[in-house]
Amino acid sequence: MSVIFQAVSESTPGPKWQSFFERLWPSYHLWFLKQGDQARPTYLACETAMKKHLPELLPLYFQLVELGGGSDAAARFLSLYCPTPYMSGCSQAVWTRDESFLIRNYDYSSKLWEATLLRTCWNGKQVMAMSDCAWGVLDGMNEDGLAVSLAFGGRRTLGVGFGIPLVLRYILEFCDTTAQATDVLRRVPSHMAYNVTVLDRKGAHATVFVSPDRDIVVSRRKLATNHQGTVDWPEHERATASLDRAHVLSVRLQDPNETHERFVSRFLEPPLYQFNHQAGWGTLYTTTYNPARGVFTCRWPGYCLERTFENFAEQAVSLRFT
Amino acid sequence: MTTNTKRVLKGIPDIRLHFHRNETPIYFISATNFNLMGIDEWVRNFRYITYIDCFDGQHPHVISPSEIPHRPFTSIEDVNNYLLEHKEVVDLIRRRSKNGKGGKAVFLFFDEQTEALCEQLGLEVCFPSAQLRTEIDNKIMTTRIGDRAGIASVPNVLAKVESYSQMRELTGHLGNDLVIQTAFGDSGHTTFFISSEEDWNKHADEIVADPEVKIMKRIRCRGAAQEACVTRHGTIVGPMMTELVGFKELTPYRGGWCGNEVLAESFSQDVRAKACDMTFRFGEELRKMGYRGYFELDFLRDLDSDELYLGEVNPRVTGASAMTNLAAFAHADAPLFLFHLLEWADVDFELDVAELNARWSDPDNIDSWGQLVIKHTADTVELITETPQTGIWKLHENGNVEYLRMQTHRRTVESEQEAFFLRIAKPGDYKYEGADLGILITPGRLMTEDFELNDRAKAWTKGIIGEFKSRAIQPAEAEVATEIAEVANFKMM
Repeated sequence: MSVIFQAVSESTPGPKWQSFFERLWPSYHLWFLKQGDQARPTYLACETAMKKHLPELLPLYFQLVELGGGSDAAARFLSLYCPTPYMSGCSQAVWTRDESFLIRNYDYSSKLWEATLLRTCWNGKQVMAMSDCAWGVLDGMNEDGLAVSLAFGGRRTLGVGFGIPLVLRYILEFCDTTAQATDVLRRVPSHMAYNVTVLDRKGAHATVFVSPDRDIVVSRRKLATNHQGTVDWPEHERATASLDRAHVLSVRLQDPNETHERFVSRFLEPPLYQFNHQAGWGTLYTTTYNPARGVFTCRWPGYCLERTFENFAEQAVSLRFT
Repeated sequence: MTTNTKRVLKGIPDIRLHFHRNETPIYFISATNFNLMGIDEWVRNFRYITYIDCFDGQHPHVISPSEIPHRPFTSIEDVNNYLLEHKEVVDLIRRRSKNGKGGKAVFLFFDEQTEALCEQLGLEVCFPSAQLRTEIDNKIMTTRIGDRAGIASVPNVLAKVESYSQMRELTGHLGNDLVIQTAFGDSGHTTFFISSEEDWNKHADEIVADPEVKIMKRIRCRGAAQEACVTRHGTIVGPMMTELVGFKELTPYRGGWCGNEVLAESFSQDVRAKACDMTFRFGEELRKMGYRGYFELDFLRDLDSDELYLGEVNPRVTGASAMTNLAAFAHADAPLFLFHLLEWADVDFELDVAELNARWSDPDNIDSWGQLVIKHTADTVELITETPQTGIWKLHENGNVEYLRMQTHRRTVESEQEAFFLRIAKPGDYKYEGADLGILITPGRLMTEDFELNDRAKAWTKGIIGEFKSRAIQPAEAEVATEIAEVANFKMM
């Protein structure tokens, strides 16, 4: 399966984002209607929820909706309010010894991946992020040195809230510190369970378990895979080896002999690296964010792409997942 | 509705001027604009937000958002709530808002959810609360309001009934043939004719389930309707109308409403005067309950005794409102609905209601019009491929009908051989038993003296229905959705 990965830079919403959206929209439209139109909230409900929980994001939201054609369905989809349920794999960890960085593997279907790193300056703050749902964030960093990453929380519970990629977008657009990001996660409802790991320029870090039906749990854990403490969904755990991955990360983070280079390379090896692409599930990339230096690195076996806010060249890379 | 709230409007010319200069956005939100056709010409900044665009984009003040998939509508309230949450409607209301206020909204039907959505959009609902309307709409309550106002209903008993024998004990004085109505719902579906225990058994479940029902003596009667408006200066009463009911050419429902006529000579002067007085008194009683604005009363005229009885009340705009609001007297003064809007305008006014009522009830001021509400009457389902357009049509002597020109209401219809037709079903819709096809409005009578559909009404109906082309549904049309659903397996848990 070949995928074209793109690094795209566009400071204000414009033709690049528009053509990106136009490419994605037919598939997302089908996905949005997957459970029938009435399973998704109405436009007014979406807009009202955004006003209540993500008000600073509204002007940008309206701009993107217009660029996306302005239809009722596109606007509702882009709000990511109570979206069609979805899940991913993912392993993520924070390294805080000689230097601090956030590293993660994104495990998902290559057919459903947007494969786009977006550098934007939509609200006066530069943001580099791996895109999902056209403007949401799987993982990313802003120029003030805040990095975030998400992993599915391994629970089937659904609730009333936002798709977590949009909450991460909000954090990167408007927060500078781990404490601020934690506050956002505390007050903005998520429609599913997610594990969010945050690291800021000063090395402050947190892993936050968010759930639609439980109080959030904020901890200084340095790792997250796809369960929240105990395993809620054994079938999912077995399919994604969440416990094994967490074990490896935990052991290596505590190993005094582990170097940061070796720690990074483990993300390209089993069990952290998932090879199951043929079955529709595998590691699609490894990203590392060094917020103090503003460096983003994306790794694949045999290939590495690095970007900074000052030096962000656009690029397209053909990737093959076997 | 203008920015000048201190001025007092003194009489009809001031009121007309006030609305011609109105700056507040006002919306009629409904399935179609039929009920309030023509009001936009009296009220500046009045817009119709409709689910169906009967005018194919040609009406300057009708806005129909592009359709998005939705759950099946079960009521007009559902349609309205869908419209209020649609992005194109939200954007429109925001774009036209003034000083942070969305304006004012009127509906045919609305519920508590509609009220909440309007609040979110900054729209003021120009009607008494849904709760009060529901309370008044209850047929048991209607009877009691009528009793308080000294307006007779058909001899009746209001009671909770448990069994046939108990019901008979309670109603011995009403005779053998009875009519039982439950509290809510379209009369066509909630009225039961009981002459025997066998009749009772057919409907016993529905009757016994109600906390209280209305049991009436069965009379031979004709229906009549009258619209009115409760204002702070008294109740303004419109003309008396006949009702077209159950004609098989127009509706598949026995007892189903299918049109109205407004004309001076259909009732005696005595009956009309009595109806006016009853409607006025009913309106004044409603006012005491905090109700204000538009309502309609149904009357039952006993053919044997010529008594006039209260039927039911519709605390709202109705299917007969286009008759009332486009009548000659309405053009001479102002449509009745304007007085409804005036009640919600941020302005004080003075009005001699008695003088207005006297003028409106003068037979010289009532011109004769009728409307036919045309449904698909056969038990078939077909896909509509062509429809007659909304506008002015001509009926030729050979029974053919011909489209003359686009029009937004009936005013330019010149003779009984011309009519205004409002298309409801559009190409791509399904024609099924009971589906609304359209509404035809034409000068003159539609019924004979015996309350049968006259030849001209039959010719118009046949001619218009003949303009609807349709075809049978092909089996493949049902499979497309399945295919789409299967390829849409995207990011789905």
